[in-house]
Amino acid sequence: MRQVTITSSGMADLVHVASLRGATYADARTVEREYEAVSVKDGAVESVTRTADRGLALRVIHRGAWGFAATDRTDDSAIRELVDEAFRRAEASASVQRRKVNLAPVAAQRGEYRTRLERDPFAVPQSERIDHLRAVDAASVGPNIKTRRSSIAAYRTRKHLVTSEGTDVSQEIVESGAGLSVLAVKAGRKPASRYDSRLVRQGGWEYVEHLDLVARAGRYRDDAEATLDAPLADERPTTLVFTPEFLALLVHESCGHPTEADRLLEHEVAFAGTTFMWPDDRGKLRYGSPQVSMTADATIPGGMGTFGWDDDGVPAMRTKLVDKGIFVGYLTSRETAGALEVPVAIGSARAEGWQHFPIVRMVNVSLDAGTTPYSELLRGVESGLLMEAPASYSLDDKRQNFHFSTQSARVIRNGELEGYVRGVAFQSLTPDFWGRCDLVADDWELHGFLSCAKGEPLQLMRVGHGAAHARFREVPIEVRE
Amino acid sequence: MTLLGADRLLAPLREGLRDVAADEADIHVHRRRAAITRYSHSSIHQNAVSDETHATVRAIVRKAVGVVTTNSLVPSDLRRALADAASLARASRPDDEWPGVADPEAIAETSSFHEETAAASAQTQAEWIGAVCAAVPKGMRAAGTSQIEVTEDAVANTRGVAAYAPATMAYLRALVLSDTYVGSGYAEELSMCSDALHPRAIAATAAEKCALDRDRIQLAPGDYEAVFEELAVAEVLRIMSLTGLGGQSVREGRSFMAGRIGERVTGENFTLLDHAMDARTIAVPFDVEGTPTQRVTLVEQGVARGPVYDRTSANAMGTRSTGHAADPSRYAAGGHAGHLSMTGGPATREQLIGAVRRGILITRFHYTNTPDPRAATMTGTTRDGTFLIEDGKITQALANVRYTMSALDLFSGIDLLGPQRLARDWWSSNGMGSVICLVPSIKVRRATITGSSPL
Repeated sequence: MRQVTITSSGMADLVHVASLRGATYADARTVEREYEAVSVKDGAVESVTRTADRGLALRVIHRGAWGFAATDRTDDSAIRELVDEAFRRAEASASVQRRKVNLAPVAAQRGEYRTRLERDPFAVPQSERIDHLRAVDAASVGPNIKTRRSSIAAYRTRKHLVTSEGTDVSQEIVESGAGLSVLAVKAGRKPASRYDSRLVRQGGWEYVEHLDLVARAGRYRDDAEATLDAPLADERPTTLVFTPEFLALLVHESCGHPTEADRLLEHEVAFAGTTFMWPDDRGKLRYGSPQVSMTADATIPGGMGTFGWDDDGVPAMRTKLVDKGIFVGYLTSRETAGALEVPVAIGSARAEGWQHFPIVRMVNVSLDAGTTPYSELLRGVESGLLMEAPASYSLDDKRQNFHFSTQSARVIRNGELEGYVRGVAFQSLTPDFWGRCDLVADDWELHGFLSCAKGEPLQLMRVGHGAAHARFREVPIEVRE
Repeated sequence: MTLLGADRLLAPLREGLRDVAADEADIHVHRRRAAITRYSHSSIHQNAVSDETHATVRAIVRKAVGVVTTNSLVPSDLRRALADAASLARASRPDDEWPGVADPEAIAETSSFHEETAAASAQTQAEWIGAVCAAVPKGMRAAGTSQIEVTEDAVANTRGVAAYAPATMAYLRALVLSDTYVGSGYAEELSMCSDALHPRAIAATAAEKCALDRDRIQLAPGDYEAVFEELAVAEVLRIMSLTGLGGQSVREGRSFMAGRIGERVTGENFTLLDHAMDARTIAVPFDVEGTPTQRVTLVEQGVARGPVYDRTSANAMGTRSTGHAADPSRYAAGGHAGHLSMTGGPATREQLIGAVRRGILITRFHYTNTPDPRAATMTGTTRDGTFLIEDGKITQALANVRYTMSALDLFSGIDLLGPQRLARDWWSSNGMGSVICLVPSIKVRRATITGSSPL
């Protein structure tokens, strides 16, 4: 049962053995993941956790079909069983197959990728992390705040990929992040929450310091307290201005997911769904207004979707998905590019861990920045709402019909922010919503998600999303108590 | 994965815990072999198997808790993990609400393990898929998933708890799509036994729905009578579970039950239990703390009776754990109701549909969420079989609709219930959630539709 680390030559041997057994393609991938987290609830330490997970996967194409096996044991018998399992799965796949797997060509890769760190988050003493969180907790205290939670986490992933085509790449990715939430409760009022679990970035402890959690906790407390006593919004079509934080999620759900190329092949049709953006629509479908451009980019420093190579061994790239409102591109893997007979526009084959088969995932998918200062964008609103942070969200299986609600919304009158309103939600169709965007500001910032859910078995993927404040006209809203 | 069995799995845990340098400690081990084969366009496109072991150790020093996980079951590795956890605890602060690790209690024998299922091969899974694809009529294509999962769970602690249970799960789903029009149908089966899956029947049900799902029209928003099939009801129950059935959510005032225990929250036709020991479900008879999982009445004939608890939330609420501590890597502490049983009735599908004057039939939902957790409000779009019912008959296919409504309001209007079957909601079907339900189809007086997807 003991785990041991497999060497680079051992991985090469494994791939060689698979090739000798008839695999037309094989790759071996090791992944070691570490995670440390501290959380504080209502002033007390709630949990202190350190996790480790490591293992090895073998993926083969045999008789034109995929087989994949993974194990957290790397003793000789486990390795032999791993190879047998991968071939048994491939043989079974080949027995129900109409089209053989065809990988789009990519040159063999060699090298290393490492996250640049100023301070390794794993080296920060636990006492320092706890003291920091207790200060954050103290800043969250308010007259009606019933529950306060805050956390700090560090993540490290070491990956090594060796393929039968000569690729041999190693990566060490370190991420740092924090979580904050407050719940305000008052007799006779609906409870109000303010939270954020997307404060995460590839980088070191310096990102946690950059977040200024103490100041942020005060803002969240104020938002929740104010929302508690706020009136309901007026239910009428209005101008909505979204924060970059809110838009990051909208971009993720309504642009990132429908441009995943495996949805075209119906690989996800029974679970995650398909898309409304089909190959014949490229260059023609109006996705949004001319102010709306979106880009997938795996090279952004600090992005949660940034890497040296994806899990197909494709080097990090960037590509346009929406250009001035017109749908133009997809997120692809070698397999999906091969099936669609297009070049790999961006390598997006990613697996959460060693135990997972790589599938098409987002990298950093962002709304491109505009050139207008936020203050000027706001001045153009006679009457509207600032949507500060998303709460609930729900999408249909084509990523076309969506519903979002908000934790916190503020009134904009004559270009100035006023008090809070509550109960705001909106449902829309994706092209209709993005078609209402009349301006994107220049204050672009990057956000990180830890747990984009897709695939069977479930894979939770890290992805990044950049956005700036943006303005949308005449959006119908719902208001509920 | 070779099953280790109780003795071989518990032995390294006991060995690791011996002379631990902490006030108390426990270890939970989850071993899993997950074999998943996915297909689309009547062709297998993913075929993966993974064998994994996860040991979560907790060490407690002066009421401060440290948690460490590892993939290894070697006693020296477990001892090292316990020492690390104790070190984390020493550097932490005491938790005044720490209830202590569980005391030993009698644990019922598990009934969720089926040996033949544990031995099911990749070829068997491919044969199920081949049978589905072969049974789909010309002009249609199939996609879906076949899954075999074998697990072993064990908990040991310094007070002498030593719990062990294996389990198996077999699952097959088929989404059938038309090649010539926009339409789809869906069916699935879930069991602890692989021989309880019927690929051809699954294909036939999905294909029949797909054949009906043509020439869709859009439905105007409004309140409608409705038939919710089992998967649709399971989705609503998941929302209730995540937002309101755990002790911590009641304690913090986030639950629909908060301040309302003993009061009527739904109609009399709604009774909901958490019942992991029901022989028809798939469950481990203890939780990750080693507490035997109890049968808990959550809502009885419309009256809220109380939530489920783990040790911490039970301690805070002055009661005993019901054995519902959840995997802390996936769920917030406080209790997770993951084995729901909603009381059913005798109505056939024809009777449910026949009782609707003008309304809708919902097969299942996609990507639901809760804009108002305290009211257990759910929003989500329907998929793979949404139909208009007029004068007791299905008359028209509908474009997918958005449904937005409180579960409490929905369950206040139950007119008829069908028999229970084992089902999971959309999220839980791929492992994002962990709720498994014995759930009936229902006919309700009112379901609120708030929008329609395009045709």
